[in-house]
Amino acid sequence: MVGSRGAAIPVVLVMAVLSSAVSLRLSVPESGAADFGMVSGRAFLAEGTVRLLGTAPAGEPIDMSADPFCREQHDSPVMRGAVEVGPGGGLSQVLVRVRTAPATADPNLSDVLLDQQGCLYSPGVVAVRVGQTLVIRNSDATLHNVRVEPKENRGFNLGQPLAGIESKRQLDRPEIGIPVRCDIHGWMNATIHVLDHPYFDVTREDGAFTLPALPAGEYEIEAWHHTLGVSTQVVTVADGSSTDIIFEFAAP
Amino acid sequence: MAVFSWVGSRRLLSVGALSLPLWFGVSEARAQDGQSLYDIGCASCHGADGRGASPDRIAFDDPLPDFTECSFASREPDADWIIVAKAGGPVRGFSETMPAFGEAFDDAQLQSVMDHIRTFCQESAWPRGELNLPRPLVSEKAYPEDEAVWTTGVNAESPGAVVNQFVYEKRFGPRSQIEIKVPFGFAPAASDSEWGAALGDVGVGFKHAVAHNDRSILSLATEVKLPTGDVDRGFGADAVRIEPFVALGQILPNDSFLHFQGGVEFSTEPDVVEHEAFLRTAIGRTFTSGEFGRAWSPMLEVLGSVDLESGSRVNWDLVPQMQVTLNTRQHVMLNLGVRFPVTNTDQRGTQFLAYILWDWFDGGFLDGW
Ligand code: HEC
Repeated sequence: MVGSRGAAIPVVLVMAVLSSAVSLRLSVPESGAADFGMVSGRAFLAEGTVRLLGTAPAGEPIDMSADPFCREQHDSPVMRGAVEVGPGGGLSQVLVRVRTAPATADPNLSDVLLDQQGCLYSPGVVAVRVGQTLVIRNSDATLHNVRVEPKENRGFNLGQPLAGIESKRQLDRPEIGIPVRCDIHGWMNATIHVLDHPYFDVTREDGAFTLPALPAGEYEIEAWHHTLGVSTQVVTVADGSSTDIIFEFAAP
Repeated sequence: MAVFSWVGSRRLLSVGALSLPLWFGVSEARAQDGQSLYDIGCASCHGADGRGASPDRIAFDDPLPDFTECSFASREPDADWIIVAKAGGPVRGFSETMPAFGEAFDDAQLQSVMDHIRTFCQESAWPRGELNLPRPLVSEKAYPEDEAVWTTGVNAESPGAVVNQFVYEKRFGPRSQIEIKVPFGFAPAASDSEWGAALGDVGVGFKHAVAHNDRSILSLATEVKLPTGDVDRGFGADAVRIEPFVALGQILPNDSFLHFQGGVEFSTEPDVVEHEAFLRTAIGRTFTSGEFGRAWSPMLEVLGSVDLESGSRVNWDLVPQMQVTLNTRQHVMLNLGVRFPVTNTDQRGTQFLAYILWDWFDGGFLDGW
């Protein structure tokens, strides 16, 4: 996943589809904290899928021989630069967020884990709220350093020499696409996103995402992938209906 | 670096979290000896042999230090290296690539890692960096150094002449050092009272540390002063002088320290310039702002000299002063002080003194700010 962020310009085709037919199962009551200050009094689900159009890059096999521990953790070679797609071209690890949501704080957020396992980050993309605790763990019995290089937040570089070691960090400012890497294992890269509101999700293996219920209105929604780039669309969440959002990225 | 201000472990907990919200110690990390901790935590980058891992085994380009190179490794005090290992390279103006291990290893473990790193330099001839004590304004140190110092003195009373001295010191071998001193300044000429620039008596010196242990260092040195000075403007003494001296640096408890320098200045023209004996001593203590911050070293220097022939003139001066590290790397320092004459005050006035010291071995003047 290294290097080519932004090089592939996404093709965005898709629109919000209003499907009143399924709205019965989808409309949900307003959540007080999440209210944008709009008046409808109710909030509606916006969900969707991010897909990859074309052939997913297969990547190149990583040579882990510099660290025998890493090599022994994998039966078959791990591919660097591969974009994994699920059924129907679903693209995982995409941050989908409302761009213009007002900042809200939520004191009761559970911790988010960024693990190092088999000399890979797991998951490769984590999204946290401002102030939410990010637990950085090394599950490997080999040394990793976790170098986090934000632009808006304070950077750090942790040495994690022992299996089971954990460090906790909180990031103070919203920031999309903070790169994380290990200087010992050059193939290890991850991305941290920090948001100051709850209207976001990271796509699952099938490319699906679900945003918290939104009051009716127009929203600018952004999909952000660490190698395929960014795509934005304006979505209308209509009263009494659910909104199905589809993003499509072109394979590089 | 003239800093040995490591202040125990109590402070570490309070500031060690680097203002990050959570302290998460892994206290269960096994009590292993330094070597195995080094192998687990440092060898991937620094190499099991301390020379730096080969480039095909790491994923960065930053040059790695060679811990086996005594001339480099011996002069860095443990405390400075422990701070780097604990809080990461940037805390001392080094690369971001050097990670922070403060949440993985506790202080005792980091000390044991450091003890192992110390085994990479096998030559005991090299005095340890802790003996490089903060430099006083006037007295010579015992520790052989690579540094450049520019000292300025301004007389508080008239005529207000400015006296500068540029000193360049170059170490060679484990224990020797040569130095060149070039005094210069601005003063009115005695002949026509016109102000002008003037060169002083250029000095060249040689110093050798004859003995050292963990807490003390003793050096013998000789300096030769050449009559290059502009006597008309009050610079220089119109005679070659040879100045053998002994210098002692002593670490005292609680980050305190003592310098002593004593010697004789023999003149080739005793009728013009008398032989002189001198004795200089400075006592001080280093304080650190925060765990990783500047080092402040207040010192009190006492200077005494006596004309040997006539015994007529006995000068005593007091020089209270404060040295502070200016940059993150801590290899550029400022010292400010005042020289108060205690005896013969009718002939000698108060003088403001300041120096900028650049420990050039530790990096360029503009590095590590
Ligand atoms: C990810 C690689 C990496 C690891 C792991 C690592 N270091 Fe370093 N270290 C570096 C780099 C790179 C530098 C050079 C920084 C510079 O010169 O700017 C460095 C510099 C240092 C220095 C400063 C030397 C000087 O120039 O004064 C010390 C001390 C040090 N490391 C100690 C340690 C210790 C102790 C460990 C293990 C607990 C460790 N390092 C682990 C990469 C690493």
